Amino acid sequence: MSSFPPPRHISQAGRSHARGHSLAPNFTSSALPPSNVRHSSSPNAPTSEMSLRGMSRLEGQHAMDQSRFLASKARVKNLNPPVDMRLLDYVAPYDGNLMCPICRCPFVDPVILTECDHCFCRDCIRQTWSAQYNPLGPRGDCPTCRTPAKLGLRCATSKILVNILDDLVVKCPRSEEGCPAEVKRGEVQDHVNIYCGYTVVNCPSDDCELPLRRKDMPKGCLHHGVCCFECREELQISNLERHWQSSCPQRTINCEFCDVQLTFHEREQHMKDACPALSIPCPGAAFGCTSRGRREQAETHSRNCTLARLAPIFAAQKQRLDEQEAAQKAMAHKLDIFQDGFASLQSLLCDPSDGAGLTNTQATVEPPGRNHRGRSHTMGAYAGTAEPLDLDFPTSSAQWSPSASTAPSRPAPNPPGPRPRDLPEPYTGDFDLAAPAFPSHSMTQEMPYTSPLHHLLSMHESLRDEMSRISAALAEVDGRLSMQSLNENMRTREEITYLGAQLAGLSRQVHWLTSSQLQRQQPQGAGARPANGSASSNVSDMTSVEAAVNAASNGLRGSQRMANGGNGMRRGLSEEGRTKL
Amino acid sequence: MSAPLPKRIIKETERLQNEPVPGISAQPHDDNARYFDVMVEGPGGSCYEGGVFNLELFLPDDYPMCPPRIRFLTRIYHPNIDRLGRICLDVLKNNWSPALQIRTILLSIQALLGAPNPEDPLNEAVAKQWKENQSEAIETAREWTKLYAQKN
Ligand SMILES: [Zn+2]
Ligand SMILES: [Zn+2]
Ligand SMILES: [Zn+2]
Ligand SMILES: [Zn+2]
Ligand SMILES: [Zn+2]
Ligand SMILES: [Zn+2]
Ligand SMILES: [Zn+2]
Repeated sequence: MSSFPPPRHISQAGRSHARGHSLAPNFTSSALPPSNVRHSSSPNAPTSEMSLRGMSRLEGQHAMDQSRFLASKARVKNLNPPVDMRLLDYVAPYDGNLMCPICRCPFVDPVILTECDHCFCRDCIRQTWSAQYNPLGPRGDCPTCRTPAKLGLRCATSKILVNILDDLVVKCPRSEEGCPAEVKRGEVQDHVNIYCGYTVVNCPSDDCELPLRRKDMPKGCLHHGVCCFECREELQISNLERHWQSSCPQRTINCEFCDVQLTFHEREQHMKDACPALSIPCPGAAFGCTSRGRREQAETHSRNCTLARLAPIFAAQKQRLDEQEAAQKAMAHKLDIFQDGFASLQSLLCDPSDGAGLTNTQATVEPPGRNHRGRSHTMGAYAGTAEPLDLDFPTSSAQWSPSASTAPSRPAPNPPGPRPRDLPEPYTGDFDLAAPAFPSHSMTQEMPYTSPLHHLLSMHESLRDEMSRISAALAEVDGRLSMQSLNENMRTREEITYLGAQLAGLSRQVHWLTSSQLQRQQPQGAGARPANGSASSNVSDMTSVEAAVNAASNGLRGSQRMANGGNGMRRGLSEEGRTKL
Repeated sequence: MSAPLPKRIIKETERLQNEPVPGISAQPHDDNARYFDVMVEGPGGSCYEGGVFNLELFLPDDYPMCPPRIRFLTRIYHPNIDRLGRICLDVLKNNWSPALQIRTILLSIQALLGAPNPEDPLNEAVAKQWKENQSEAIETAREWTKLYAQKN
């Protein structure tokens, strides 16, 4: 007993040390601290000095090893936090009864509420009840059945349940980085801490503090830059593997549909053109064929499918149809512009009441004679509205503005004042000749225009010219008319003066006759009383003649005044004459 | 989202997609897995029949220890749902239990549409109308459903 225990102790310690390398993390700090070893070895002191010295040396080395091991373990622990059991992926589906109703994972450290027999993870139920802090310990309502319950000392579940849970097979938490291990859940922490090649550890190089994956440890320090020989990206050797796995565009992957190996950047092309497993539609799908199939099936189908064979023809025709439709739309638009333009030009030129029933060509090429009167009457009014009408045309204002600005300065065709309708309408030749000139001019000779707009503009231009010509003609007509009336007026005036002169002569004669008669009657007047009646009748005759002469001269004077006064006096004259007479 | 999404939320979301509850759908946002667009059909035989109601659902950080926050987006005439769409439902408040899930909560809401409770009102005006003239209130609820809760 006294001689053997030390070696046993040493061998025990050594074994635990050796085990510590394999299973150490399961031995938590309480398991085997160095002080424990020393304490256990000191009471059983060795009898011989040799063995004592050997012991102490061994012991010292052992203690050093252990402290080193613990330090590295702590560092590894820092780099690799304890596995979160709730984040594990289970290899096989598990029984729903093993699922905690709170975290919806297989129980982790399950407890049973003695009040209602419902089971939860210890952490889950603690967290649930933490809000209702109670000095008597965690307690509250059961989350499942709301029975008031508490977490007592005897809440641990049976060993069977724990064993079942620990036997569930999970994937290594580093499976996404490449670890293929599938281990029992109870051993997953050991796997990560000890075996998993993808666990991060410290770089073996003494002067390097960077982390390294455990499986790369034998390669020494990998913390120097290299280039990926596929894509030339610069990175550290330790990251090279991850780069090839997940980010290098040249990495090889398997097509998820047909299992063909290809590089990542070829994937898109493969999916589009080559992958035989991908279901592709018949080429005639747009025209009604609903067939879909794998690539080789689709090829045989498309050789037999009428719709597939006709598809290119259909497509070409559809394209042509679309083009035609677009062209037609454009034409309709142009036509609209034309029609608008014509309508406004027509309304500009023709009296709406006359022009409404006429077609464009009739209205412009062969205007009926009575149209001229209508135009001349409405000219003044339309000249005023010509400016706003211009805005209706879709012309560029820069192109059109010069003529538009000159428009108001054009010679006013006619004073807008009243014009008597009963004056004879002069019918001049050049007025008529000008009218048919423009449509033929613009329709036939200048038809090939670059755009309908230009055509319309030129038409507008010629219509404008036409209008100025018409207004010039109208001005001329107006001049002639006023000349004619002036001439007539002068003739009448001459006649009136002639008549006045004659009347004056006549009145002089009458006067002379009257005075001679009076001279003749005066000597007889004293002696011839009986002739009084006849004399008085003579006097009355004479006065009536005088009155008539006076009235005539008055009328003549008035007519002269009125002839000077201007138009419309003829009626006035006659009225005056009527009242006088 | 600094913390990883709890397994529970991932599992609930998966199950909602893979085994949807009839008449209920919940779709998480692409940029925030804790935020769901919810659609609940009015239960058959109720005055909300034929209506499709949109809700928003948010799982707070301490879910499932505290209830999800949920609110009607579609206007609804209901004594337990106020003008802002907030829902008066015990399991969304004091009676929350972490053993409840999104799907059970949505089923409770659908049940609430089928059985309005004017005795515990959130919308006083609607509750008053419901108590005084129930047939008229039901008619109004029907009109609102036609007006606002139509699938577009
Ligand atoms: Zn749990
Ligand atoms: Zn219970
Ligand atoms: Zn592993
Ligand atoms: Zn290194
Ligand atoms: Zn690369
Ligand atoms: Zn493929
Ligand atoms: Zn086909």
